Amino acid sequence: MKTTRTPVAAAPRRHRTLAPFAFLAPFLIPFVLFTLVPVGYAFWQSLHKTERRGGTFGRAETVFAGFQQYADVMAEPFFVDSLIRVALFGLVQIPVMLALALTLALLLDSAVARLKRFFRLVYFVPYGIPGVVAALMWAFLYDPQLSPVVDLLRSAQVDVDLLGPDAILWSIGNVVTWTYTGYNMLIMYAALQAVPADLGEAARVDGAGAWTIALRIKVPVIRPALVLTGVFSLIGTFQLFTEPQVFRAISTSVTSTYTPNLAAYSLAAGDHYSEAAALSVLLAVATFALSFLFLRFTARRQG
Amino acid sequence: MAVRKRVSVTRRRSVVRGGVAGGVVLVLAALTACSGGSDDKADAAAGAACEPASGKVSLDYWSWVPGMQKAVDVWNGENPDIQVKLKTTPSGNAGSYQNLSNALKAGKAPDLGQIEYDSLASFRLKGGLIDIAKCDGVEEAGSKFVDWTWSQVDFGAGGEDGVWAVPQDTGPMALFYRKDVFDKLGLAAPTTWEEYEAAARKIKAANKSQYITHFSQTDPNWFTGLLWQNKAPMFERNGDKWKVTVDRPESREVADYWQKLIDDKLVATDLQGFSPALYKSWNDGEVVTWISAAWGYSTIRDNAKATAGKWAVAPMPQWEKGQKQAGNWGGSTTAVLKDSQHPAEAAKFALWLNTDAKALEILNQEGGLYPAAKSGLELPALKEPVDFYGKQPIFDVFAQASGNVDTDFTWGPTMTDTYRFLSDGTAKATGGGSTLGDVLKDTDSQSTESLRKQSLDVTD
Repeated sequence: MKTTRTPVAAAPRRHRTLAPFAFLAPFLIPFVLFTLVPVGYAFWQSLHKTERRGGTFGRAETVFAGFQQYADVMAEPFFVDSLIRVALFGLVQIPVMLALALTLALLLDSAVARLKRFFRLVYFVPYGIPGVVAALMWAFLYDPQLSPVVDLLRSAQVDVDLLGPDAILWSIGNVVTWTYTGYNMLIMYAALQAVPADLGEAARVDGAGAWTIALRIKVPVIRPALVLTGVFSLIGTFQLFTEPQVFRAISTSVTSTYTPNLAAYSLAAGDHYSEAAALSVLLAVATFALSFLFLRFTARRQG
Repeated sequence: MAVRKRVSVTRRRSVVRGGVAGGVVLVLAALTACSGGSDDKADAAAGAACEPASGKVSLDYWSWVPGMQKAVDVWNGENPDIQVKLKTTPSGNAGSYQNLSNALKAGKAPDLGQIEYDSLASFRLKGGLIDIAKCDGVEEAGSKFVDWTWSQVDFGAGGEDGVWAVPQDTGPMALFYRKDVFDKLGLAAPTTWEEYEAAARKIKAANKSQYITHFSQTDPNWFTGLLWQNKAPMFERNGDKWKVTVDRPESREVADYWQKLIDDKLVATDLQGFSPALYKSWNDGEVVTWISAAWGYSTIRDNAKATAGKWAVAPMPQWEKGQKQAGNWGGSTTAVLKDSQHPAEAAKFALWLNTDAKALEILNQEGGLYPAAKSGLELPALKEPVDFYGKQPIFDVFAQASGNVDTDFTWGPTMTDTYRFLSDGTAKATGGGSTLGDVLKDTDSQSTESLRKQSLDVTD
């Protein structure tokens, strides 16, 4: 406030150059404090390591180590394993979830839909439930000792172990799909509201049915929204944390390095702050690169 | 004696200087919002003199023992000049240690904190503890505690290496078993592991869906208790040199034994410790024993209500007939932390809290703690028969076990990692992908690597 008031009297031209920053401040200040500084700190930390002088319980010093932590992290077997795991997860879960979200959005948008408001809310409700609560609830539904669903399947002679090493990744995928489908649907639905009505009318006059209008008119028009949800999902997948962390308490199949984010958390808990920082930075770079590639890829297809 | 004392005084002095310099650096680093520069936290920094302060003193204390406030209230009533402010925190690895580490880094740690035995070395490694050996009454207090607990807080050096905390409670281990199930099958409480295995086979043969126990992946410290019983410490410390001894003949004996039970499907491997699924299995009688610590009596009592009166407690099965060895699972200390301005008063409170008859009774009644103080084992409540366990005076078994815990068990300074390696490896083993023997081998090499990454002098 002070900085803007003084120049008013002194130099109106400087006032003009400062004004945007005053308006940006509510965004910029938290952004710098809670995003740039922590990221910068993590990067700085990832370039250092601990050294000890004077024996085991002597003094610890933090010294510059270049990219040694990065080399260490990448040499860990869990690094590639966890990356492959989330990549596989994303390859299957993201298309399933987005297809589901698109279907629901188109259904809600169609002329014949009834009780639109009600269903919009119903589909969105899972997103309003905190991730940990959702994961815990699903954990109970999966647990062979407690789940009514598993009991039912067993009585139908279907023996499944939803928490076993083969199924657990997809059990997690189910929770993520359940949580985020409604959220993605809402973004797509909002975009559909912006599709000009005359486009649909013109198509109808030309003899297009509801199917054709949905697939040939609506979907291409809301492509930016689809790309956006795709990027969000990609980022979310690489940062997968809550669900596996909660499932660790009930399943013997989730290790402490199951996903890259979980691994970074475990490293930090074991006082390997530098290595955890290096892993976080690598993860951020990989996520950024993938999102960028995805955007490039979809943009070219569009052009 | 005199010579040694002088040497230690000069060393302490230089250390104090280092500590002050480090403090300045830390403050500077914090100011530039890019701290972590020099985590210069020399050992024993403030523990040099331990002079009592004059005037009123206020102490902050973090603990997660239920009912601790009542004990603190008693102290505050009796000591108007030393007022303790309690903050109740989540239990150790569930958040407290992370919070404590961060607070230590920021220079805002409380005066006193609850730290479990297995994490004491790692907090000392971080320079988070104050040596209270010179504080009033600490050295004499050694004999008041169960032997093995004191060797934990003085790092097994008999006072040559300082005293870093006051023992609070312990978890001597024994065998909880469903007496009715054993009786029906004509089984007595197994006294050896061989008999335990035979019982496991008999139970399984009688009822296909019944297991003698569960083998949890999330309780690596439980498995460590089993290793402790067989005198298989995971670490050896020789001055500044560390040696990882996770993979050794004694631990292999334990691992191979349990691997056999897993292979023959005699133990449940899909139940995690302290999970609702486990409790259901207890209630349904599908899991009929638990090798656990003294504090475990309330875990069963509160979560397996349907089986009231049917459980009993016997000493841990032994590796050789006639032996009397017990493991230990859990237990905490009260430690004075780096930033405390009043170590003398803090140590005084810690000693009172863990030796005073009234305090011990409150902690036992409210928090279910099994005391580390020898006098605590004589509490009236620990002599009484317990209804849930068929009116058996179960604490007699634990009192005996408490005296049979090996005093030479050394924790590593990176136990969080070692536990993680153990539990990740166990996941693979119970999933059929490897064996517990492999887990020991891998945990051994991974722990060595983790010590190396902390820049510690470690030999294979």
